[in-house]
Amino acid sequence: MLASSTSALGIIFPNSYDALVPELSNVRLMASIPFASRYRMIDFILSSMVNCGISNVTVLVRNNYSSLMDHLGSGREWDLTRKNGGLHIIPPYAEKQNKLFTGHVEALANVLEFLRHQNEKYVFLSDANIAVNFDFNAMLKAHIENDADVTAAYIAEELPSSALKHTANDRGLYYTFALTGTRISKIYINPRDTGIQNFSMNIYCIERKKLIDMINTAFVRGQVYFERDVLAPNLESLNVQGFKYEGYAARISDMRSYFDENMKLLDDENLDALFDPNPIYTKIRDDNPTRYIPGSEVSNVMVADGCVIEGHVENSILFRGVKVAKGAIVRNCILMQDTVIEEGAIVDYTITDKKVVISAGKEMKGADTFPLYIAKGHRV
Amino acid sequence: MAKEIIAMLLAGGQGSRLYALTQNLAKPAVPFGGKYRIIDFPLSNCVNSGIDTVGVLTQYQPLVLNEYIGNGQPWDLDRVHGGVHVLPPYQQAAGSDWYKGTANAIYQNISFIERYNPKYVIILSGDQICKQDYSDFLRFHKEKNAEFSVAVMEVPWDEASRFGLMVADEDDKITEFQEKPAHPKSNLASMGIYIFNWDILKKYLEEDEADPQSENDFGNNIIPNLLRDECRMYAYHFSGYWKDVGTISSLWEANMEVLDPEHSGINLFDDNWKIYSRNSGMTGHKISAGAVVENSMITDGCRIQGTVKHSVLYSGVKVEDGAVVEDAVVMGGCVIKSGAVVRHCIIAENAVIGENAIVGAIPTETEKGVATIGPGVSVGEGAKVGPNAMVRENVKGGEEVC
Repeated sequence: MLASSTSALGIIFPNSYDALVPELSNVRLMASIPFASRYRMIDFILSSMVNCGISNVTVLVRNNYSSLMDHLGSGREWDLTRKNGGLHIIPPYAEKQNKLFTGHVEALANVLEFLRHQNEKYVFLSDANIAVNFDFNAMLKAHIENDADVTAAYIAEELPSSALKHTANDRGLYYTFALTGTRISKIYINPRDTGIQNFSMNIYCIERKKLIDMINTAFVRGQVYFERDVLAPNLESLNVQGFKYEGYAARISDMRSYFDENMKLLDDENLDALFDPNPIYTKIRDDNPTRYIPGSEVSNVMVADGCVIEGHVENSILFRGVKVAKGAIVRNCILMQDTVIEEGAIVDYTITDKKVVISAGKEMKGADTFPLYIAKGHRV
Repeated sequence: MAKEIIAMLLAGGQGSRLYALTQNLAKPAVPFGGKYRIIDFPLSNCVNSGIDTVGVLTQYQPLVLNEYIGNGQPWDLDRVHGGVHVLPPYQQAAGSDWYKGTANAIYQNISFIERYNPKYVIILSGDQICKQDYSDFLRFHKEKNAEFSVAVMEVPWDEASRFGLMVADEDDKITEFQEKPAHPKSNLASMGIYIFNWDILKKYLEEDEADPQSENDFGNNIIPNLLRDECRMYAYHFSGYWKDVGTISSLWEANMEVLDPEHSGINLFDDNWKIYSRNSGMTGHKISAGAVVENSMITDGCRIQGTVKHSVLYSGVKVEDGAVVEDAVVMGGCVIKSGAVVRHCIIAENAVIGENAIVGAIPTETEKGVATIGPGVSVGEGAKVGPNAMVRENVKGGEEVC
């Protein structure tokens, strides 16, 4: 790819905030959590990058990444099977000096050599815990106009309840910003403030050469976290700009928010806001269309292809290949890929992971405030 | 590297009896079964049968078909050696010709076939709905030590005279061929699917081309010549689902049969014989509170607020509040507006049916037609389209079309 003055490459940290949803990340990582009936969390940020012309994307996986590797494959569905650039998945220990990392500084230090050999002028860093149709070009434009060293995207919103409850160290760090104009004057680490905050999306824009210098210095000093150790102490010398994101965003911060953010998409307005104007790409499974057999009853649902519905389904999200047998009742549920609800079973406020079977006549009931979760492959 | 077998897929068919649907579309590109196009069936059959090299012969309105096939990736036919190749007629030093007939289409691509130096060539038709294991057909061909085999279906005797018929002995050896005879001697109808030994096929194509009287057609010329020379010709019996969706009513019927795989024999839900297609990339479909969906197939991108009964909806169809869709085939991107009623009809891609408009009707003793709305057509508010209508141009609000 020709290096133009505005070209950028992307780096995604798919493991960030795994600990917020220990149930779902037991068999996978944050980026491969199924979302919105046929997607995985990473599809949103990855498709956004591709739709903004970023065709060189590196995914720095840490652990538990087989599901993500399987999902991404060669990157074809995202148009990232390319001669120049394309998709790179870099696991720890990929090279002799690579270590299992804790924070982003270490993760990036592992790939400095790779970064040195790229042509793009800018780098976008992002996690994968927010489903968003993000305009990286608008952020890059702001970055250039503000003559920023680093630009950080944020959403003005209240902190999720999980952030207010947990102590910092066991669930990962999160950040809010104090702004002077658009410039970030202070970064708060794991704040407990209520009310609207400038809540970081952990999406950063930075010149590639500057990033290499910063990481080099920080790594030598034994620093771990990019925000805490590199940005926060240097806000006077670095021009760190805030970029306010005002579009639709679905942030996964615990099981409850995972449930709620899925359910919110039953409202067409939210669905359109997340999926328009740019398409979100995902792995193709070649399922047949969903079949509604005589006797089925459905109301207020989002259903992917490959399902066979004979029973009653309402207020629910069904992923690909779900079967709901005759006489079964499904309400307020998220049923992941290939879940089977057998005859006469009743499930309410339940999240079933992949390939769960609820056998005939069983009753599973969670609550509005606490959805039940059934782990991958279990038969109830 | 020689290939044992390659496929040549005849996809130049105009499908003139599908009229409004094939004005800008070759018949193999006609959408089918919710998320497929007709050509997905032979292409998927090839891949599922282990055939990785397919030449697709196009001629009529190839734009959509070319784009749809692309590099063949959705069918796993983007291969280093082989894969899918679209083969339109081309200009040669000695002049250029349209494909004059089915045999001539293959003749003009002899050099394509020779690149793979295959032992066998299977000739497929791009306009049939059929799930067939070609590897079993090839096994038969080899077992019989045949030079030519044709797949045949048993058809009811009273319909036999509509088909090209193979008369075969108890060993399935073909003794006679009758093209749409008044007095059928057999009820084994040719499906238009042939396996040839490549050396035999090449010889007869060249001979046929040299004959100025020939129509350059497999049924009318090549097969009679093979019989004349007493080649080893065998009939392979196929008993699965097979439908030539050549007319509006047969296309409608085949779509409806998809809804009843237990009885119709066309099962799209078989994990062991997947039909592949190019994906629409839309989100899961949505069914609102208050919507009614009964006995239907619905795919990605649909939004249902109204009533959908016994229908097949393709990707991205919107059925607004109070609209009724019944016994209908509604293709991709259509909008059925509030209060509109569409019944027993085919609505082609991206058509818009206006508020309170009526399209088609449940058949009665006297009226059995399948109303057809062409692609991109807009039917105005309150307009009425009768059950025998074939609409290609916009219908104004309040207007009636019979």
